[in-house]
Amino acid sequence: MATQTLHFHDRVDTALHDETLKTALERATTRFVGNRAGAIDALEDADGLRRQARALRANALSKLDELLVRLADQVEARGGKVCWAADGEAARRYIVDLARDRGVKSIVKSKSMASEEIHLNHALEHAGFEVVETDLGEYIIQLAGETPSHIIAPAIHKTREQVSALFEKHLGMTPTTEVPPMIRAARTALRQRFLQAEMGISGVNFGVADTGAIAIVENEGNARLSTTVPRIHVAIMGIERIVERFDDLAVMLQVLARSATGQKLSVYTSIISGPARPDEADGPEEFHLVLLDNGRSRILGGQYVESLMCIRCGACLNACPVYQAIGGHAYGGVYSGPIGAILTPLLQPDLPDAYLLPQASSLCGACQEVCPVGIAIPDMLLRLRADAVKAGKAHPVETAGIKSYALMMKNPLVYRAGGRAARLGSRLIGRKGRIRHLPPPLHLWTHGRDFPQPQGSQSFSEWWEERQKKGRTQ
Amino acid sequence: MSREQMLATLRTSLASNRAWLEAEAHKASHTPPPFVLPPADDLAAQFAAELTKLEGRVYQVADNEEALETLATLLEERQATTAVAWDLAEIGLPGLDKLLAERGVQVLEPVVRDEVRKAQLQVLEPAPVCLSGAEFAIAESGSLVLYHGPGRPRLASLLAPAHIAVIRSDQIVRGLGEAMARLRERYAGTLFDVTSNLTLISGPSRTADIEMTLSLGIHGPPELHVVLVQTP
Repeated sequence: MATQTLHFHDRVDTALHDETLKTALERATTRFVGNRAGAIDALEDADGLRRQARALRANALSKLDELLVRLADQVEARGGKVCWAADGEAARRYIVDLARDRGVKSIVKSKSMASEEIHLNHALEHAGFEVVETDLGEYIIQLAGETPSHIIAPAIHKTREQVSALFEKHLGMTPTTEVPPMIRAARTALRQRFLQAEMGISGVNFGVADTGAIAIVENEGNARLSTTVPRIHVAIMGIERIVERFDDLAVMLQVLARSATGQKLSVYTSIISGPARPDEADGPEEFHLVLLDNGRSRILGGQYVESLMCIRCGACLNACPVYQAIGGHAYGGVYSGPIGAILTPLLQPDLPDAYLLPQASSLCGACQEVCPVGIAIPDMLLRLRADAVKAGKAHPVETAGIKSYALMMKNPLVYRAGGRAARLGSRLIGRKGRIRHLPPPLHLWTHGRDFPQPQGSQSFSEWWEERQKKGRTQ
Repeated sequence: MSREQMLATLRTSLASNRAWLEAEAHKASHTPPPFVLPPADDLAAQFAAELTKLEGRVYQVADNEEALETLATLLEERQATTAVAWDLAEIGLPGLDKLLAERGVQVLEPVVRDEVRKAQLQVLEPAPVCLSGAEFAIAESGSLVLYHGPGRPRLASLLAPAHIAVIRSDQIVRGLGEAMARLRERYAGTLFDVTSNLTLISGPSRTADIEMTLSLGIHGPPELHVVLVQTP
């Protein structure tokens, strides 16, 4: 949350000047992009699987009301409890009250973007509970007092030296630059947390309506421990994260793993249906499913409904040239990258500069290309930009600029005069084919990069006219 | 806000987009493909190759006797005197009970419930190995499908630093779609009647959260050994 004290442009500026971050982002996104491409190419019918995934997500959303009822009824029939949370406040209150009522002291959490979205940890800690994030990346950033910078790899912005320093301070580990001792230190410290915890909180990758189950994917085993060891399991699920049938998982689990990390399947997929049954030897005695709306039903009825198909794989983050350069924190919200630039203004409209996020895109389309459910991200980014302008949120300089641009484009005389002036000006200030400093307000462009100096002595229209004249004389 | 209020809000919203969503839903078949990769010659070899790529170890053995020898070596190497395990009958390897008795390996059957929960967990925690069977194995992804339930505790593939699983070659299916279809056929509507959990395991626990460096065993077992018995 600390990142929100800065304005979006300042956060971007900070990120662009952070060399460590730059290296980390390049390493992570290059690896993810390559792994994903390999995993998708290996498929016999990648396009077919993707079309199926999209159809299954659309199918689930089209009968969301009915499917949520089926899921909830079956969870309850098996002895679980369901909380219908219209907003973050309702979800937080339910979980805090539950923990108080059951005399909980210590809580372990596995990764859940929905819980980040409603700032659950803050509420639980404020109420006096000890909350430990157990996904290694989440644990690292919790120790550092930060927020995730990537959906799949929350701590990619941290170096091994930084992690070693954190573990030295909090776990008493001997400083090291080797990763294995850090892994051992974290395993030992977190294992006791699991064994002592009375409550485990998890997210949900897919609710399954026809079997009354939830599916959770992970690579570390912390979600398995969080949902098996403590007496109480609380799962938080965004209401849109549902599929109709058990068999749908056969498509969704494979596209999710391949798109996220290039794995064929995640290391662990847990499909959980309610609390442990009477004859089972382990598993939680209580199971609570929190169905979180928090703005989703509003999106469902609007022009951005497609964004609810998202399965949080992170492929669009890795593919995005803007994300690759600025990382997740610059976006300010919980969700980053191209899909975050859509979800944040829709789910967290109170963030003062959320409306700027759709600008953080060159509209190159790489995100849509890799999206496993084919969400039309660039199109939605454009529409969100239009919404912001209609809401009067455009910058005055930008509005003035666009107006004069429109004036120029509509009037051939002004257009030609403007073109000549710009050509003359660029010749005066350009050096070796590049312009390093443009006058205000265009200096905002050259602040971050050079502007190529226009080449040639005439404009395209002058050249065209000349060519036409020559053609006629021949 | 109550369930009915939230559903009412949802229905109102859905009204404006339901037709579009239904049209999108009809653009492709909803039946999952039984498998997604080109065919391989031999499912057992494919399973072994895939799991090996994931840093798991597969021991393809000819019969039960060889399986027991392999298990003996694995237990010996880990100097195991205790194991968190499924009911041995559920693992389904004749002679396993005798082997464990001879080697002095005490089988800890988890009973992690009620007031004894935390105390039981501390008893199980030091065990060096987990022992389980599996419902299916998936060749394309090198995965085990563990259908947990009475006699098949979840902790017996999770707690210790080494998980040893025993499967037979006729339990291998080609893809995830096939595995899920078979589960549905076998258990129909009763899949979650007496059990609350089904887990797919594809390799040992891993993380790349520190500088994208692959590391094994951050929470689950760093070692996964699969003893694959050839069915006659």
